[in-house]
Amino acid sequence: MVSSDTQVENNLSQESGLAIINSKAPFSSDFGKDALDVALIFGSFEQKVSLFFQGDGVYQLIGHQDGTLVSIKDYLKTFSAFEFYDIEDIYVCQQSLVNRQLDESFHIDNVNVLASLEFGLAINRHQHVLRF
Amino acid sequence: MKTLAVVITTPPYSPLTVTALTYVETALIAGINVIGVFFYQDGAMHANENISIASDEYQAIAHWQRLNQQYQLPLHICITAAEKRGIACDSVDNEEINGAFTVSGLGELVELTTKATRLVQF
Repeated sequence: MVSSDTQVENNLSQESGLAIINSKAPFSSDFGKDALDVALIFGSFEQKVSLFFQGDGVYQLIGHQDGTLVSIKDYLKTFSAFEFYDIEDIYVCQQSLVNRQLDESFHIDNVNVLASLEFGLAINRHQHVLRF
Repeated sequence: MKTLAVVITTPPYSPLTVTALTYVETALIAGINVIGVFFYQDGAMHANENISIASDEYQAIAHWQRLNQQYQLPLHICITAAEKRGIACDSVDNEEINGAFTVSGLGELVELTTKATRLVQF
């Protein structure tokens, strides 16, 4: 008989890396920028990091925004450097886009649009999760 | 050996810090290896010596200090988050920084995350 502890251990061994969930709109708080800083540090230490955008966080992926118009540093521009940091797993929640009547067009390439269940399963494949 | 790392992103006056402290202390009492606590975003305010919370309210900072002393629990604050919030981190013997805290960078968060079996954020 397998103890629950061993099961947890087995599940963990299949999971790897860090999932960062972005849940806030870009220019109304520091959360997006703080999450970006964490992602880039993990990338530069060659640690696996995936980005998830959900709720108002999906606004961080929408194009033609310019934070400087509201005197905020436009950290969204740095998203184009993800490839350079080997951050390749980027997921957005389809339902969050639908709820906000947003198209699936983003200011960076290789964004995976996932239905709620798949979005959840993708997060579950990571060993650690941080939410901003 | 299972290891636990904790990330605090809420300020010392937040009720969530009470939950975090209860969680961490329970883990320590249970003998779980808590490898460190990383204070990010508003969590960095915990290291500010100038913060004074009314004496009849929960003294989060004093409790972190106690866990640090009692269990040698490493408490790391993110330097960027701290400086942004008015805590000068430029000298080693800075009186503005609570002595229980170590000034670190986000690299420390990477270190803790890679070493920890579990990472829990409050």
